[in-house]
Amino acid sequence: MREFANRFLGRGDATIAVPSFDGVLKPNQKLEEAEILLECAAPEDLATDGRTIYLADGPRLLRLDGGSATELRVFEEPISALASLPGGELAVALGGREVRIFPEPSAAKPRAIFAAGLSAVNALAPALDGMLIATDGSMTRGVDEWAWDLMEHGRSGRILMLDPATGSSKALADGLGYAFGCCATGDGALVGESWRHRLIEVRRDGSRNIALPHLPVYPSRLSPASPDGYWLTAFAARSLLVEFVLREPAFRKRMMAEIEPRYWIVPRLRSGDSFKEPMQGAHIKTMGVVKPWAPPRSYGLVIRLGANGAPLYSLHSRVDGVNHGVVSAIEINGDLIMIAKGSGRILKLPIAPLDKELGA
Amino acid sequence: MSDDIFLSLNKATKLYGGIPAIDSVNFDLRRGEIHALVGENGAGKSTLTKVMAGVVTLTSGTMTVEGVEVLPKSPLEARHLGVAMVFQENSLVPTMTVAQNLFLGQERFYNRLRGIYIAAQQFLQSLNFDVAPTATVGALGAAKKQMVEIARAVLHKAKVIIFDEPTATLTPEEKKYFFDLVRDLKKRGVSIVFISHAIEEALLLADRITVLRDGRKVVTDDASKFDRARVVQAMVGRDLSHTIYGVRKTTVRKAGARVLTAQNLKMAPMVKNNSLSVFAGQITGVFGLVGSGRTEMFKIVAGVLKRDFFYGGEIFLRDKPVRFRVPAPAVRAGVAYVTEDRKVEGFFETSSIARNIYLGLMSKFPSGRALLSRREATKVGRDWIKKLKIRAIGDEARVVELSGGNQQKVVIAKSLAQEPDLIIFDEPTRGVDVGAIVEIHELINRLADEGKAVVVISSYLPEIMALSDRILVSRQGKVVEEFSALEATEEKIMYAAIH
Repeated sequence: MREFANRFLGRGDATIAVPSFDGVLKPNQKLEEAEILLECAAPEDLATDGRTIYLADGPRLLRLDGGSATELRVFEEPISALASLPGGELAVALGGREVRIFPEPSAAKPRAIFAAGLSAVNALAPALDGMLIATDGSMTRGVDEWAWDLMEHGRSGRILMLDPATGSSKALADGLGYAFGCCATGDGALVGESWRHRLIEVRRDGSRNIALPHLPVYPSRLSPASPDGYWLTAFAARSLLVEFVLREPAFRKRMMAEIEPRYWIVPRLRSGDSFKEPMQGAHIKTMGVVKPWAPPRSYGLVIRLGANGAPLYSLHSRVDGVNHGVVSAIEINGDLIMIAKGSGRILKLPIAPLDKELGA
Repeated sequence: MSDDIFLSLNKATKLYGGIPAIDSVNFDLRRGEIHALVGENGAGKSTLTKVMAGVVTLTSGTMTVEGVEVLPKSPLEARHLGVAMVFQENSLVPTMTVAQNLFLGQERFYNRLRGIYIAAQQFLQSLNFDVAPTATVGALGAAKKQMVEIARAVLHKAKVIIFDEPTATLTPEEKKYFFDLVRDLKKRGVSIVFISHAIEEALLLADRITVLRDGRKVVTDDASKFDRARVVQAMVGRDLSHTIYGVRKTTVRKAGARVLTAQNLKMAPMVKNNSLSVFAGQITGVFGLVGSGRTEMFKIVAGVLKRDFFYGGEIFLRDKPVRFRVPAPAVRAGVAYVTEDRKVEGFFETSSIARNIYLGLMSKFPSGRALLSRREATKVGRDWIKKLKIRAIGDEARVVELSGGNQQKVVIAKSLAQEPDLIIFDEPTRGVDVGAIVEIHELINRLADEGKAVVVISSYLPEIMALSDRILVSRQGKVVEEFSALEATEEKIMYAAIH
């Protein structure tokens, strides 16, 4: 009854509302000013041991050396997540369905393999006690089918603790609205829940609390920042149009059945490539020029979080930019290295000027 | 007496309870001159003009109009002498239409409503005032009410028009119209007396300026012989020119936790899909022209107004959804709204200061209280009178007897007694003198330093620039731009507010 009333009145879960980009999330074009280190076909994730940067580009594992990359190895499936572990080990998720831990990046045989029950592993992070934290986005859809999961209101995401020593795994939390991105905290993990637009903190005992709610974006991966805090990336921004579609099951059903997926009304990693895209003309342009403030179909955002998870400042690529679909950011030697998956670019920004200008 | 003197007061004294509001003031007004009266709140400006307008009578001293000694005992008598007053607190009948208010007191035996509306429409258009004659006054914003007040005085063909803070609620564009109107009246030989706290306006518009302090005249001189510093010095007896709006912010407070989030809030036709956030430990300034929906937006937050019933958007207070239908639950949730219209919404003017402040505290109790403690009321009142330095004859003084600045402090005290986390100040220094402005600004800054989330809504740009850490610009019912105080300029803000 309440649900019917909410749908009728536009309240509660049926409210079509999106938080604004204001305060510390006030838009800028910092991501557009970033140095382009490299352009590649399908960049997915970054990892670092503090000296070397590893880059997942489709099935290829690359080592990033400044503006060039060296191929270390090629896997049989696309890499969906990377993590550098203590002692030079490297954890690699393949196709979202398997996690392998290698003693070193070029090692022929993995030290441990986790495959049972995995569906869409999209982020890996080392825990403080030698375990590996993994986010499994959805139990029903693969790692590349995130748009399907969003349209189906997927709530089957999980956080897993993988133990390389024993080969066992344990779900810390399940029923999540697309778990994406994780980072170890003192007693558990900070995890992104993309479809609920929030970060949650999950403890070892399974208890959880909301660390950062009501984000105007779909959060993606997390990584530690120096001296404390985190870098949070967001692969797309929320828009009223998508929120509306998410409340219209009949429309979604027909759209998914009849329309080519790349033209669905869903968040995208890049946009503006085709006149068949759902938003055209004055929605996004004025006098033929893309409006930076237009409703975003794709967007680029990196948020610097404090130790308590509160945002300190943010780096944007607005609607008129190209560095959209940011899925990974890591800090190394005073620089922030990011993947803009939409444009296929690896970007670099020095952190000290950002801290000074935007006030960390 | 010189021939060009139209009205004069000689040793004018008015006592309230034995305490002089004005004391032996000599004042003269020439034909066709614009005469500015400036002074701190409580300096006696309003009393002096009320004497001229017949609202109060002198305790001693004389008043002459065109050389004849007069003693108007009512505004009607004063109007017959050719003196009309536009009050700071508007004196319109809220349930009547604009046209009916304009012609109030001039009704004929048979009044054709359509004729009144047509006449009012033509008259308002001739003044360039964008007010519908058929609109009910109660539904108008403060600026439009002020316009009706001004129009009424002009309609009465007064020889002297007294304006009490005429521009306080007007937008820059409306101010320009007003100044043109005043200059036009001057050309027609009408004498203008206007009270203003905006010293620049007095310097710009007036032919002569009289400065009052503590009920006494300090100086009267040609406006050309004054500058801002001299006026302020004369008003307060000390130099405040660098402490009010002069100093530009060089640092801003960092945002704390997000206290308020509004998402796609709607209240047709004033608030349209408005989204914003307010953070703890910061002053969020909200600038916008009259009619931009900024006041309505925050009145929805405080439960004074209701958002649209269907798809009205969402409000989150400390990340929890809230929907306040009346102000009391908002107060209990830690939201305080300090109104822009203190006379109507801010206090019970015939009640004492202490009782008003105590009434503010009452709304914190979920189901009210059967018995009110007079002792507790007195204690709470005394504490806040001391904290906010409210100048009154005693804590049992009625609010109506206070000056504008002290009345504003009572309204603020009433809200602060509720110990809110989010305090919304709507035009906090409207109709307040420079001395009180400094005190109120210090208080607002102190609240932000204590970690409270503070919102300051103001249509006065220097105030927004002086106070805010971040500035939101509202236009046509929604926030259209955000500036850090460090990057904001008056030009940028105004551009965003208009275009």
